[in-house]
Amino acid sequence: MAAHNLNTVIGFEFIRTVKKKRFWITTLAIPVVFAVVLGLSFISGQSSRATADTQKYAQVTFQYTDASGLVTDAGASAFGGTRTNDGAVAIAAVRAGTLAAYFAFPANVATQPVRVYGTDKGIFANGTYEAVARAILVSAARQKVSSPQLMAVTQGNVTITSQTFKGGQISGGIGEVIPPLLFLAIFYLSILMLGNQMLSSTLEEKENRVTEMILTTLNPTTLIIGKIIALFMVGLVQMVTFALPVIIGYLFFRANLNLPSVDLSHLSLVPGPMIIGALLLMGGFILFTGTLVAIGAVVPTVKEAGTAFAPLVIMLFLPVYAVSLIVSDPNALIVQVFTYFPFTAPVTAMLRNGFGSLNDLQSAIVITELFIFGLIALRLAVHLFRYGSLEYSKKLSITNTFRRRKRAEPAAVSDRAS
Amino acid sequence: MDFGDQTVIHDLSFDVHAGETFGFLGSNGSGKTTTLRALLGIYQPTSGTMHIGGRAFEPRDGARLGYLPEERGLYKKESVLDVMVYFGILKGLSRQEAAKRSRAFLERVSLADKATVRVDKLSGGQQQKVQLGVTILNDPELLILDEPTQGFDPVNRRLLMDIIEDQKRAGATVIMVTHQMEEVERLCDRVILLKDGVAEAYGTIEDVQDLYGGTIVEVHHSGPLPASTLYDITVTRRDYAELRPRAGTDEADILRDLVRAGVMVRGFTTARTSLEEIFIKIYGEQNEPAGV
Repeated sequence: MAAHNLNTVIGFEFIRTVKKKRFWITTLAIPVVFAVVLGLSFISGQSSRATADTQKYAQVTFQYTDASGLVTDAGASAFGGTRTNDGAVAIAAVRAGTLAAYFAFPANVATQPVRVYGTDKGIFANGTYEAVARAILVSAARQKVSSPQLMAVTQGNVTITSQTFKGGQISGGIGEVIPPLLFLAIFYLSILMLGNQMLSSTLEEKENRVTEMILTTLNPTTLIIGKIIALFMVGLVQMVTFALPVIIGYLFFRANLNLPSVDLSHLSLVPGPMIIGALLLMGGFILFTGTLVAIGAVVPTVKEAGTAFAPLVIMLFLPVYAVSLIVSDPNALIVQVFTYFPFTAPVTAMLRNGFGSLNDLQSAIVITELFIFGLIALRLAVHLFRYGSLEYSKKLSITNTFRRRKRAEPAAVSDRAS
Repeated sequence: MDFGDQTVIHDLSFDVHAGETFGFLGSNGSGKTTTLRALLGIYQPTSGTMHIGGRAFEPRDGARLGYLPEERGLYKKESVLDVMVYFGILKGLSRQEAAKRSRAFLERVSLADKATVRVDKLSGGQQQKVQLGVTILNDPELLILDEPTQGFDPVNRRLLMDIIEDQKRAGATVIMVTHQMEEVERLCDRVILLKDGVAEAYGTIEDVQDLYGGTIVEVHHSGPLPASTLYDITVTRRDYAELRPRAGTDEADILRDLVRAGVMVRGFTTARTSLEEIFIKIYGEQNEPAGV
């Protein structure tokens, strides 16, 4: 019966959320904005490249002086340039509009600027002068070096692969750090995206006065667990919806969008940190969910629930401010406090797990602590829902709910009240 | 049943027989709803339990219970049919059966065309009908109704009472909280009257009427009405009087006594004190301002 009811609650909660227009408007708003930005980026990328090519290979009638000795007459004339010995005359001609441009290459192009003078052709077309001056220098440098390899090196176009060792074994380096940190990303996404819905999940029963019907039909634990699972499923739908445009954009329009290529072969999935990361994610999710649902059961309105959410968000982000310390000095007192304080523990421990500074014992302690506090929070949430949601428009006194719960001699009249 | 330091229900015990309709009466704040909530496990009672058929009752063990709470409420953003089917499934019905019963109920209460309408688009009375439908969808063995006709017009109140009677005929045991004494007199077999968390009266309606006033004799007459050891005159108007028989006196003895005294009796009927009068008698005192 409990499993049947759990499935019923999950189905009801999930379907009624995803069939709402508002849900899809909110969910699709982010990928739509993202797609619009990508589209603009795509269009402007194409436009910029076309402009740059046009400018680079543009023919400009210009004169130049060269104190560096790098520029050859042949090289310059290929771009439409002729050498002059009198820069001042050339500048005057440009000013008078009888000469399109004049470039003054300095003695040392590495430390001194190349001076460009040109007739105004508009803010975008004026870029042609700089592009031509730069192209002349690059062409001149290539001729001097006369080695594509050296040119690539000077431009930093080299690929480096590295291998490090830990305990005599090849360690994964950054490729080993990234996968466990994905759990941290999922944790942040799930809490930030679902937090408000968790807070308001039981408020609906309260605001709609459905609580009594529910409490006589269904175990409140089943209701709350069902709601949490349904919320998680809703979160997955949202994540997939958010991720789709990114994946599509990456797979089909990577070149056009100037996206860097991602080589997943460098990622190393080490079982230990991955299992610990997953357990930390689960424990942290249970703790935050239980706490948010408990807050929702206490407060009478969504507005007040939002106020109570703020301290949790602060604790969620607090370890991020200490991230450099967490990475460089995991034994620092503040890192230790963050590691074991329940509401900062998930993020801190996941960071330390990713960077390899959380040993097995510490992992076990934090995971156990998160699950214990998480289950306590869930039990508290069920208790507060049971008693708090009957308060309807009033804020609940937690002390009173426990006072009310105390029982004295339950058998005293049990055989009489039949 | 305590709330903090305050005891709101004092050592209350009562039996409800299988198949009967039991009235739970009392003024506002007398503890009726609190008692029901404690019985159903919504409130944790300080002590005591509810037994059904000799077994301690667990509200969520799949028992066929129907509860219409005083605080009405449904999922307002969902369609009428979705809400009814949801609760039907939670009460152990299959989806198809829940949908079939929901449509049948909506048909009966003239809401068939509202099946796909959102609950918050219905009027208050229509929402109450839907809520009653949710309550009886699983043909409950025990039906607990807290102010079932509250907010209904007379036509719909009659319809609602018919539905409750149908449930009773189908074998349901009904516990009903109400302030409508006509409903009690029409539907209830036995009643309990609560005052400040204490049972003030408990039994059949006749038992309660006997306890608070019993039988009244209405006499239409000519000539003066003599004093007698058989009755007390409680109301007297021109050619009309109400007499309360003294303990052990039969109504026939009073008639004989009147005729013997030469009173011209034109009308002689016996009636019980109405529950409404008894209600006012019990609860009216506590509502009177101090000093009156």
